[in-house]
Amino acid sequence: MRRKCASRAALRRARERRRQRRRLARRPSAMVRALTAAALALPGLASPAAADSPPTQARSDYHYSRYAEDAVESKKVAAGSERDRYEIDIHQFRFETGISDRVGFNIDITHEAMSGATPWYVTPGPNGTPVQVMTQATIEEARTDALLAGDYYFDRGKATLSGGVSSENDYLAFNGGLGGERQFNDKNTTLSAGIGASFDRITPEDTNKYPTRPHRENKQTYDVYLAASQVLGSATIVQTSVKYQLGTGYLSDPYKLAYVAGTPETDERPDLRNQISWLTRFRHHFRSAKASVHLDYMLYADDWKMYSHTFELAWYQTLFDRFLLVPSARYYSQSQAEFYAPYFTAPRGDGYRSSDYRLSPYGAYAFGIKAELPFEVWSLNWALTAAYDRYVSGADLALQKVDVENPGLVSYNLFTVGVTGRF
Amino acid sequence: MFPARFRAISAAALLSAALAAPAPALEKGDRAPDFSAPGLAGGTVSLATYRGKVVFLDFWASWCGPCAKALPALDQLRKEFKPGDFQVIAVNLDRDPKLAVKFLSKRPVGYPSASDPNGTVPQRFGVDSMPTSFLIDRSGVVRHVQRGFRDGDVAPLREKIQKLVADKR
Amino acid sequence: MTRCLALLLLALACSGCAPVRPWERDALARPDMAWDPDPLGAQLGKHIQFSKEGSLDGGPGGGGGCGCN
Repeated sequence: MRRKCASRAALRRARERRRQRRRLARRPSAMVRALTAAALALPGLASPAAADSPPTQARSDYHYSRYAEDAVESKKVAAGSERDRYEIDIHQFRFETGISDRVGFNIDITHEAMSGATPWYVTPGPNGTPVQVMTQATIEEARTDALLAGDYYFDRGKATLSGGVSSENDYLAFNGGLGGERQFNDKNTTLSAGIGASFDRITPEDTNKYPTRPHRENKQTYDVYLAASQVLGSATIVQTSVKYQLGTGYLSDPYKLAYVAGTPETDERPDLRNQISWLTRFRHHFRSAKASVHLDYMLYADDWKMYSHTFELAWYQTLFDRFLLVPSARYYSQSQAEFYAPYFTAPRGDGYRSSDYRLSPYGAYAFGIKAELPFEVWSLNWALTAAYDRYVSGADLALQKVDVENPGLVSYNLFTVGVTGRF
Repeated sequence: MFPARFRAISAAALLSAALAAPAPALEKGDRAPDFSAPGLAGGTVSLATYRGKVVFLDFWASWCGPCAKALPALDQLRKEFKPGDFQVIAVNLDRDPKLAVKFLSKRPVGYPSASDPNGTVPQRFGVDSMPTSFLIDRSGVVRHVQRGFRDGDVAPLREKIQKLVADKR
Repeated sequence: MTRCLALLLLALACSGCAPVRPWERDALARPDMAWDPDPLGAQLGKHIQFSKEGSLDGGPGGGGGCGCN
């Protein structure tokens, strides 16, 4: 009896050994596996390395900002015109969280209350130098913006769908976007792409008072972007991206006029605009200094013959292991749109015209300082933020030589306070 | 189809990429390499001491969100089994172990964590994502590789551990 | 065919940079190493630039960070 049991056990063991041999035989040799793994590390033949995941904590941000433009210098403004410019109170709210193992979403709401005068048209001044005629100060206008975005996280990438609405007294826009990213090379390389569209309807105010003002106009913008980012070291990353945008429909400014041979005429721009921007961003962390540097450069060009350069630099300094101080600087320079002039002595052959300072040649520098202090209350992580930014523009700040400065160029101060909560 | 020179260049490029690649990730059926590393709380943590028990080996770091989420879940899972049957051990990969100690002081767990700031242990295990965990049976063979951590991963893990604990060989 | 070429190009491009291992990403996971550590500030900045300047804003982010799930 015992011998039978023993032989049964022996049979079982022998069967198990055969099974093991077959299993080992099916598995490739260590050398083959090493080479296969090397191949798997190449992009395309993705390794099983999983991608990022939905936020593990919910995060809520609120910022209040006060934007105040400098008054126009008296020598730049037409006699009797309003000199005080725009002031805006801005409230921003953001909430983001993960809602399942693979899904996250965020919502952004902005509300602005604006008042003040804006540039209306430019006339030749006493000695030919252009002077700005301002609109009358508006009582108060409001803008509300809402954006909702959802992310789905795959093993090696992410897809994002977003939709938003923007509404003002005279303006309503709907926008949407779809984007995705894919990670390669042990998550050292990321490729991303996306498309977006926006449909805007403008119904300008005071059309009774200003009969040449359009009553209702539509505008459409479509954009596509491609981006590639690469980890260059354990504390260094770079990204380069290209974005193309097509604008069609009413692209002029209904509230601005252009002086043509002594008469203020409506702002007339082409109903098509092709724009392209190329942005490169660099991030590096200095371990010993406990600081990170951000360096961005953007090149922009469009078929209105305008091009621009933007340089941004920010230094994120951690102090006493908790406090964050961020000084920053920005330099911007743009050329003019083809159909721009401060004022026109004769109409253009193509019928286009604009004196908008935003299409004029100029340069600008900005500097900012931001401070962030984290603290813990009710066992939740909070952070307080305060920031100040100063922006100054001028024709003499442009990279190229500018003959005539648009008198409506803007400079402003921006104060921000905010609170962030993580839970 | 491709000229010989092109093939040679491709081979060279592939080889250089291969040389830069980490050790192949341990798979189901591989023997888990023994390791010994200093514990975050002092002493030494060594995989060999757990031979004969089912072990869940978790590689984590304080800066990794999903890793932090996994810690309490793993501690909970550990308490569901007898200590003689199932153990959880972790290898912390923070460059500065003090950050890991600070992290654990706020969210303590009842299982030991080794400290490996140079990353020699994850290299040997071929860790290719954060977090990565290995479910090792009583004889030291890897039976499941857990990449990443999501809430939905706990139930299947529990089932696998129950099966391995029942296998007393 | 195109896949082989793409693989080759990317392999050649990256053969110079040793890939950073998943457990070496502590610095990359820092909030101050994100493309936009302050999303509201970045959003407001872009809006002001769009309203007061002539250019487009640049493309969005992707890559870097913790790399965890």
